[in-house]
Amino acid sequence: MKTAAPRHHVIVGSGVAGAQAARTLRAREPEARISMLTLASLPFYNRYDLPQVFRGRQDWHQFLVDPPEYYTENRIELRRCTQVANVDSQRKVITLGHNEEMHYDTLVVASGGRSYLPEELSEFRHLLDGFGSYEQAMVVRRKVPEGGTVMLLGGDMIGLDLARTLLDTGHKVVLVTDEHTFWPHQVTDDEKKELLTVLERMGVEIIAGDCEGGIDAIQEGAKGLPARRVIFGGGRDRYADVIMPFYGLHPSVEFMLGSGVDIERGLLVKKSLRTTNDAIWAAGDVCQIWSDEEKRYRFYYGWKNVRAMGELAARNITGEDEAFEPTQDESLHIHDGVTIHSPFWEYA
Amino acid sequence: MSAVPESIEARRETPSVAYSEDPRDVDWVGKNIPCQTACPAGTNIPAYIRAIAEGRHGEAYEINREANVLPGVLGRICSRPCESACRHGWPGNGEPVAICHLKRSAADYKHAGHRITERLYAPTAKRVAIVGAGPAGVAAAHDLSVLGHDVTIFEREAGSGGMLRYGIPEFRLPRDILDFELHNALRLGVELRLSAGVGKEPGETPVSALLRDYDCVLLAAGCMAPLPLPLEGDWKGKDPADVCKDVVHGLPFLMALHRGETRKVRRRVAVVGAGFTALDCARVAVRLGAEEVTIHIRTAEEYIPVPKEEIFEAKREGIRIKGLRTPVGVVLDEKGRMKGIKFVQNRLGGWREGGRRLAIPIEGSEFVDPCDTMLIAIGQKTVNDFLDVKVELDRWQNVRTGEAGMTSVKGLFAAGDFVTGPTTVIEAIGRGRKAAAQIDTWLMGHPRRKKVVRIHPVAQPLRERAFDFIGRQEMPTAALHDRVHSGTLEVETGFDQPHTGEESKRCYLCNLRYQIDVDRCIYCRACIEVAPRACIKLVSGVEVLENGTYGKLTEAKEWNQVGAIWIDNNECIRCGACFKACPVNCISITRNEFAEVDIA
Repeated sequence: MKTAAPRHHVIVGSGVAGAQAARTLRAREPEARISMLTLASLPFYNRYDLPQVFRGRQDWHQFLVDPPEYYTENRIELRRCTQVANVDSQRKVITLGHNEEMHYDTLVVASGGRSYLPEELSEFRHLLDGFGSYEQAMVVRRKVPEGGTVMLLGGDMIGLDLARTLLDTGHKVVLVTDEHTFWPHQVTDDEKKELLTVLERMGVEIIAGDCEGGIDAIQEGAKGLPARRVIFGGGRDRYADVIMPFYGLHPSVEFMLGSGVDIERGLLVKKSLRTTNDAIWAAGDVCQIWSDEEKRYRFYYGWKNVRAMGELAARNITGEDEAFEPTQDESLHIHDGVTIHSPFWEYA
Repeated sequence: MSAVPESIEARRETPSVAYSEDPRDVDWVGKNIPCQTACPAGTNIPAYIRAIAEGRHGEAYEINREANVLPGVLGRICSRPCESACRHGWPGNGEPVAICHLKRSAADYKHAGHRITERLYAPTAKRVAIVGAGPAGVAAAHDLSVLGHDVTIFEREAGSGGMLRYGIPEFRLPRDILDFELHNALRLGVELRLSAGVGKEPGETPVSALLRDYDCVLLAAGCMAPLPLPLEGDWKGKDPADVCKDVVHGLPFLMALHRGETRKVRRRVAVVGAGFTALDCARVAVRLGAEEVTIHIRTAEEYIPVPKEEIFEAKREGIRIKGLRTPVGVVLDEKGRMKGIKFVQNRLGGWREGGRRLAIPIEGSEFVDPCDTMLIAIGQKTVNDFLDVKVELDRWQNVRTGEAGMTSVKGLFAAGDFVTGPTTVIEAIGRGRKAAAQIDTWLMGHPRRKKVVRIHPVAQPLRERAFDFIGRQEMPTAALHDRVHSGTLEVETGFDQPHTGEESKRCYLCNLRYQIDVDRCIYCRACIEVAPRACIKLVSGVEVLENGTYGKLTEAKEWNQVGAIWIDNNECIRCGACFKACPVNCISITRNEFAEVDIA
């Protein structure tokens, strides 16, 4: 009797969601072929730990969640530095950046989100430093001198997590606030005021972006001064050694445009995490899930949610029919009036 | 930078040009030059880009003008269906060529006083009246005047150009460019009567009078009446613009500004709509001093029928786009001023006619988004109550035209958005030109021109493989601060000459047809080995369709099944590698393109 060939599951992305999807798929479907495609040069590593580069942890091996042999042992074909150019959902074929075509039976899109840079700042991109990857973290580490100044624009929770480490390690932190400050937490104006006061007590210098007339320009610093200069609309300026945008995440879905899958900002998925194409699933920061309570499609951030999504997508691909339930506390707390506690900072 | 292979000598040495009406040749051009096929005006894009690559900007401009009389205008504001179809943008090939920006470069870098190519026909003494000096009317007027007819345009507004002048802001389309090209299009004896309304009101000329005084009349009055916003509940059937002064329809708002009238917006502006007009309204609002401008759309940004670069520039100016929402009502304060818009959340549905996504409202998901000015830009409809002759209408209440472009009234033709409803400028130009050809046929009693394929041998490949790795050049733009504060400063500043040259090299020149002479081929596979794509195939047969054109290739799996070696021009990126590798010179190249010739 002829048996069906093992299915080929392709996972785009090697972050928390993608890695968990691969782990679960392997456990539930031992014979399946699993390919994981990622733009990253390293296998799955802990991005939440990246601020540790300022505490002397700089060897990339120390950031890996699974040792390199994990992928071989679990027959997960990990393809690093691999760009997905587009997805043809009719033919179930992925075209890679180097023109190779890869067939899939099921596709899990877990490409995550990249740091969002407001379009009005795009012309200054070359003067800004990101913190989304190990390589970027190391570049920032090299650029910031001992006791140097780092300016955070926007100030989402990823940036504020870095700010805590920078303060601990003797650096100066300047925060230029705007509507993205404390993203993805939703805070009221009063809460925001209180939270900013706590940040000031922690040692962060706060510049209210709106009051200063927004950012007018970013320039190279002059000789003898820090490397970057920000000029505000009201005329004030401020120097820093490094300027880093932290305006939340922008889902990485460009390669899915034209695939026939519904997209608004992220991939629109049902609670089962299935997209509008039966063979394509999404997990993590890339998907917008319908919320019955809020009557809208929304993103669910935080590693607990993201990992749960990776697991759920894999379970549903392998025969379950379960709905996503958020597992992450989304509230922001102040402890003793001096420290901020965010569940987005907890990683286990 | 690699140099463009010198082809001028090659062109001089090429043997005679052939003209073909063979369906296989006609079919090849239709299927293999996707940009030209996608262009509603049929612009010969590969030819003009090649001319740019060779530094012949004036010639590139004239190649454009053969299809589109306003290249400098369209090079700035075209909706670019050609770029969506460009082979360079197909999966695995990278990004489409910046065709539109190159069109602008041809206009920017042509020499002042370059020679214009107009193949004039002898005067016919036939008189044609055109109602409307918008893109369709101007394109038709130009072609009819070239064909020897006496043309008079009646325009209601004080300036010509229609939507170009009154709908599109100056920061996208400088008025000196528009004036120059309109003048150029109409200077062959077209009489332009401005502030000359056609209609039933006192002081206006009735259509019946035009039909009496002219041999025929072309209605090209455009599509300028705003569509009402369908609301629910208490607002059902009401136009909030009639009730609240903070609610304004987008197109009349833009038209008033462009007539020189003053318009103001308040601090938080909400624009409802997803097309060029909505985007223009939002960007104008920023320039009028609005602090927060949001465009609310029913579906998602991916489906907005506006080039991505335009959306990006709008966002750079601080405009935000919020998707998956349909307005169902407005919220006013106790003084009757705008307080917010009530929306319902949508999910994406199937596809509408014309390739647009459907939005399905989700019951019980209503919410209010605050704003204090609302601009409605959800589309336009035609107005035909100015007609004093009874004309058959279609189900959308647009004038119905027959195969020959004529309405139900003898001698009364119609074209452009007035017939189709709102489309794009390039579509209106294409339809205006088509109407001109139909009118000429009717006036003269027979067609005088026909479309054929001009086949021109090419001695050597015109591209290098290295060109395939040049990235799409980015359009430079004016500084944010300057553009917002000026109000009229052109945002896109145009490619400089080096960037124009680099971008022009990216074009695959899809009008080049590579063919293998199977009688001379020795099946050495050298061409297959060097081909960067699966574009050269060993085939056992080629399907021949009923009309004589070629259909699908049947690829051979075994050597003994090989009947021919075939270049799949659909896959071919015209890199020339096969031509250079062939040891027996059995690969030929021809430039195949549509041309119009006189019917003897």
